[in-house]
Amino acid sequence: MKMTRRTFMGSAVSAAAIASMPLETFAAGRKILVMASSVDIPNFDPHVATGYAPAMLFRNTYDALVRVVGTPPKVAAGLAASWTVSDDQKHYEFKLDPTAKFQDGSPVTADAVVYSFKRIIKLKRGPSWMIAGIVDADGIKAVDKETVAFDLKAPFAPFLQVLPWMFVVNPALVEANIGSDDGQAYLMKNTAGSGPFKMGRVAPGNLYEFLRVQNDWHKGGGNLEGAIWKIVREASTERMMLTRNEAHIAIELYAEDMEALKEAPGVVRVIEPEYRTFSIKMNTVKGPLADKNLRKAISYAYNYQGMLDAAGPADLMIGPLPTGIFGHDPKLSVYRQDMAKAKEYLAKSQYKDGGFKLTALYATGYENQRRWCLLLLEALKSLNIELDIRPATWPDTVASAQSPDTMPNFFCIFQTANYADPDNIAFAAYHSSRNGQWQNPVYKNPEVDRLIEAARIETDQTKRAELYKTFQELVIDDAPDLFGVLEKRKLGMRDSVKNYVFTPVAANSIELLPLSLT
Amino acid sequence: MLFYAVRRLVLLVPMLIGLTMLVFVIARLLPGDPVALAAGPNATPDVIESVRHEFGLDRSLPMQYWTYLTGLLHGDWGVSIFTRRPVFEDIMTFLPATLELVAAAMLIAIVVGIPLGLAAAVYRNGFIDYLTRTVALGGIAMPRFFLGLILQLLFVSWLDILPLSGRFPLIEIPPEGPTGFYTIDSILAGDWYSLSLALQHLALPAFAMSLSPLATIMRMMRASTIEVLQQDFVMTERALGISNGKILFKYVLKNAMTSTLTVIGLYVSWLLGGTVLVETVFDWPGLGLYATQAILSQDFMPVIGVTLVIAVIYLLSMLVVDLLYGVFNPRVRYA
Repeated sequence: MKMTRRTFMGSAVSAAAIASMPLETFAAGRKILVMASSVDIPNFDPHVATGYAPAMLFRNTYDALVRVVGTPPKVAAGLAASWTVSDDQKHYEFKLDPTAKFQDGSPVTADAVVYSFKRIIKLKRGPSWMIAGIVDADGIKAVDKETVAFDLKAPFAPFLQVLPWMFVVNPALVEANIGSDDGQAYLMKNTAGSGPFKMGRVAPGNLYEFLRVQNDWHKGGGNLEGAIWKIVREASTERMMLTRNEAHIAIELYAEDMEALKEAPGVVRVIEPEYRTFSIKMNTVKGPLADKNLRKAISYAYNYQGMLDAAGPADLMIGPLPTGIFGHDPKLSVYRQDMAKAKEYLAKSQYKDGGFKLTALYATGYENQRRWCLLLLEALKSLNIELDIRPATWPDTVASAQSPDTMPNFFCIFQTANYADPDNIAFAAYHSSRNGQWQNPVYKNPEVDRLIEAARIETDQTKRAELYKTFQELVIDDAPDLFGVLEKRKLGMRDSVKNYVFTPVAANSIELLPLSLT
Repeated sequence: MLFYAVRRLVLLVPMLIGLTMLVFVIARLLPGDPVALAAGPNATPDVIESVRHEFGLDRSLPMQYWTYLTGLLHGDWGVSIFTRRPVFEDIMTFLPATLELVAAAMLIAIVVGIPLGLAAAVYRNGFIDYLTRTVALGGIAMPRFFLGLILQLLFVSWLDILPLSGRFPLIEIPPEGPTGFYTIDSILAGDWYSLSLALQHLALPAFAMSLSPLATIMRMMRASTIEVLQQDFVMTERALGISNGKILFKYVLKNAMTSTLTVIGLYVSWLLGGTVLVETVFDWPGLGLYATQAILSQDFMPVIGVTLVIAVIYLLSMLVVDLLYGVFNPRVRYA
């Protein structure tokens, strides 16, 4: 029997032996920036994919005519070194940087820009919605080799703001791999851009490696030799990687993580306001909430301070537009908890005795949304209304937005601004042409529509701000949403990362070029 | 035996067809609209419809199923609605990581579990029996992800001797080889440095996964060994003066193995289907995470594809178990 015991010991020892092997040494000496994020980049096609992780890839491997930088976001030169706008704001001309080159060495020409925009318009995917109805394929022309002209159907004030998301592809490469789907199969796994980085190792669901293109045309820039976008599922792991110096930037951190990182040596916390709104939308068409007075009663009964306390670093929204964006009026009078007024409006409604049940949907797994729904339950209770709170997966939520019949009474939504202009949120979330979409399932007010459309084409900034002011007042009076919070963007960064500048537009899609590592 | 194996393999085909039909229908009957989601946040209704058309989702369900089934025969497992990547390619990317993890976990469970179970039976009510009983209770009761977190805290945060997560260091190039198993591929390439890196990354998740099957195998082994030890033939062998070691390893072990084998077979597929929590904690780029992502976004094709793969592996592992019965017990050998 002694043999047996020895066998046990042997297996136990060999199992433990692996623990004594040498550990990895982290990126010592090499300037490789590691970003930890939970979001994958399954598709590399800049005219198809959406989301901030793909946007990060596009920003670094492709170029657009212009870029967006800083706070408040400003438009800066990209492929276009300069541009002119006609007085009626319908004609734009961009002069390309003559040194701009694709990664294969061929120059970025006006024809390449035209080709890319036509592909965007044709595919109707990815960023195409930003220019849909504003410019069509015939309105984009190459004046000469280095000049591109756009003739808009109508003035579109935020035109320059949407251009940073229209990336230019190398027509020669795309045409060589065009297939039967306009090169979608090729660009899904390959890049064809002029950006300062090219793809290295690609392991879907695991990591994406970016390599600095040697001697490329971009001026300035930091000392990065490469970067890795590492997929990490848990925020707590992102945090641990950051404190262990295994990652330089942690992209998705919660308020608890930020608190825990307060004292962590070598870690810098970035907590900045951005244009990402959270609101609880109401079914303004079907059911009791079609009654404006009831909506106002609920808006007054809600505990906004409680919402803010549960949110972590955040600000309360003042009306439908994010604070700080052009046209937002911080002096707007908005709903704050006032039970006397809540009771007053309830008495004016058809439902003054309450006694019925409403339903609220929130995104499964979003603990904060659940907490905010519990506050809603409390508010409704004070009006003698019951609330059924249901978690829903994202596809279910999107499907429920399709019509007033399928939309629940309340609907929790985060909305990110893709471009730094009030038109983004105003059009997506309040224009009736968006009914059936999750940003605006049912709300419709012809006067609000008119104001949004007018502000879209208004070229005079003062008049435009005035239009948005009226828009905000009108929407607040309609009370289609419980205007919630603007959660602050929370990034964790090693102090070895230099030259990082925050911008409230797509803050997660980090631009690598200016960054340096010490 | 060969005939039996072939017959079982042929029977797999109708079973898998039935399975695809079942999963196909269930996936489509669920509420929710993945197409509207996949079309992007600002897609207009006609764009959503064009995406629906592009994926053939505007056709009748039987037509869609027929297209899928005929595609399957040509090795086309469909395309993800979200990423537009071919499902087969994705599965082949993620499967080796999961298989390596499950294989390592089962290896630990078998290599440690069987001898410990045997020892617990031989030294019944002795120290080792109580020790294994405690470990078994803990192993079965403790959720795997929780154990994973505790292991991270202990070996990474405090002792700092093992890597936090992932399958290979970020800046190193992982070994490439025919199996997709980093450990085996690095052995094949004779690259001992890569092997040690791969083992370091494998250690914690594999251990976290192994504890539950280890506990079950150990308890199963103990119970069946005790049962066999009490049988008449053991007493006869003892009377004949055969050494205890020989009785245990030559006669008892074989008899006790059959029921343990069933448990091992079941655990392989159970682990395959349940890697997601451990994969999440350790950022192991495997099939579990891929499947969860697909289920949450109601991405039909990957869901069906993953179900098929797990079913095939399950059915195959059960077949292997059935054949192995014959090796240990000639009475159930298939003619």
